Amino acid sequence: MPPAPLTSAPVPFRAPYLPASDAERLQEVPALADPAVGEMRRLRAGLDAAPQSLPAAIQLANAYIDYSRQIGDAHYAGYAEAVIAPWTSLTAPPASASLTLATILQYRHQFSDARELLQKTLRAEPRNGQAWLTLATLDMVQGDYAAAGKGCAQVANNAGLNLGLACVGNLRSYTGQAKQSLALLQQAVAAGARAAPAYQAWVHGLIAETAERLGDWPLAETHYRSALQLLPQDNFLLVAYADFLLDRGRPQEVVPLLADHAQSDTAFLRIALAKSALQSRDAGQYTWVMAARFEALKLRGSDYFGREEARFALQLQHDPQTSLELAMRNWQIQRAPWDARVLLEAALAARQPQAAAAVLDFLDATHLEDPIIVPLAQQLSAQLKNSSGVKQ
Amino acid sequence: MKRLLLALSFLAASSAAGAHSASDAYLTLSVTTESGADKATIHGQWDIALRDLDFVLKLDDDGDGQLTWGEVKHHQAAIEQYAYERLAFSGEPENPCSIKPARRLIDAHADGAYAALFFDVVCAHAPSSLTMNYTLFFSIDPSHRGIFVMHRGDNASTAVLSPQNAKITLASSSVK
Repeated sequence: MPPAPLTSAPVPFRAPYLPASDAERLQEVPALADPAVGEMRRLRAGLDAAPQSLPAAIQLANAYIDYSRQIGDAHYAGYAEAVIAPWTSLTAPPASASLTLATILQYRHQFSDARELLQKTLRAEPRNGQAWLTLATLDMVQGDYAAAGKGCAQVANNAGLNLGLACVGNLRSYTGQAKQSLALLQQAVAAGARAAPAYQAWVHGLIAETAERLGDWPLAETHYRSALQLLPQDNFLLVAYADFLLDRGRPQEVVPLLADHAQSDTAFLRIALAKSALQSRDAGQYTWVMAARFEALKLRGSDYFGREEARFALQLQHDPQTSLELAMRNWQIQRAPWDARVLLEAALAARQPQAAAAVLDFLDATHLEDPIIVPLAQQLSAQLKNSSGVKQ
Repeated sequence: MKRLLLALSFLAASSAAGAHSASDAYLTLSVTTESGADKATIHGQWDIALRDLDFVLKLDDDGDGQLTWGEVKHHQAAIEQYAYERLAFSGEPENPCSIKPARRLIDAHADGAYAALFFDVVCAHAPSSLTMNYTLFFSIDPSHRGIFVMHRGDNASTAVLSPQNAKITLASSSVK
């Protein structure tokens, strides 16, 4: 049975209580009917039966990581880390264990630790295609497109032409070659027609993003829907599609789309943004709960939420200064288009065009195409020129 | 098989820009010293996420993905045993301390429902220093964190408990 949809706003604040009846529902948890849950239990039983088996551990860890990503919940990434700990704690860990740990670290935005581990792995195994793939993705997230280009070439050499194609296709969408990117990705999706649904969904998601770069909204929507048809519960794709809908002025579609995913912080933020755009009566409650979730993250010492929190501060707390500070700190860590966008939006709202200088230089150098980001950058560049023109 | 794993790992890698909450528990201690008596009582409240408890103890009896109060109650003894085996206090030598479980309720947090375990730490006499060893979930999730707050009169001190910071000493005047 699918989890009950979120029909009412969450209750943000109440003292510890005794539930009124045994039937009271307290918490959604992974349901047995979910095939992924059954698969994880099967793999766990396999590892319990052979606790020394590295392949069994890696398989279970990968299943946990994939589930973590699917439901937008980092608990399972932690479980994965524990599963491979007996191997990653060795003086010379096996490459497969290091790679799995690097993926977990990357997922948690511990980018420099992930990079170090990947580079170490590649020194030992220079033809490890999976390591190149993970490193190229990391380079793209951090905006080092030259390094990502080299990585994609290694992916093509060591992991097959198809993945190499998808890698390069993804990369070119960031470097002013979105049309080429689209052609490459469409080739990758056609060539991979018989590949795993997860792979196909991923390429459809990339095509959708690239179509957004080009302002081709119908194409973007078609591919978001294709991707979601293959992986209907995928948190990452759902959130990307929700962002698309918010940008297109369709917040009323976001609430039902994400109703079953309120557990995920990224999904919850989009619900809160949609509620606010709809001027819904319970919008304030959603903002309150989102703030509490960010507060909980701060308590545990996590700050990998920069992009999301900057967006929250600007759009729901109407605090451009805080948003700008968060976005600037985030820019030191990750440089995907959304990271640029939140910083530019905050700099405009805070009337501090000079704070956007690094992002404007980056966009100049990389030639990112984007019908939302480019006009923001032009506005800020003009303001910068004016302010330097009237400097005393 | 190898290709499939590659594709899956590609997906996992590409999700780097996502954001997600990890596992936290909230442990609060309040120290009261009865005036004139050489005896200190420490009241504790420990909030542990039901979804974490479900992962280790399989609380969802009917497997429908919805934890009810009835299911939680049914496993209450297992929950308390699991938790209290992973929290220990000790005073100076010759001053043993133990945990006395009290009420158990449900606490609503921003990311879901938590089991709220209330307990007292009872020592033979008022300890000049108290050592706490917290190991909840670390063996199954090294990214778990215990968010610790200690109240003493009007003072509050905080700490983040992690595998690297599992054992902390609570001095009589402050907690670091």
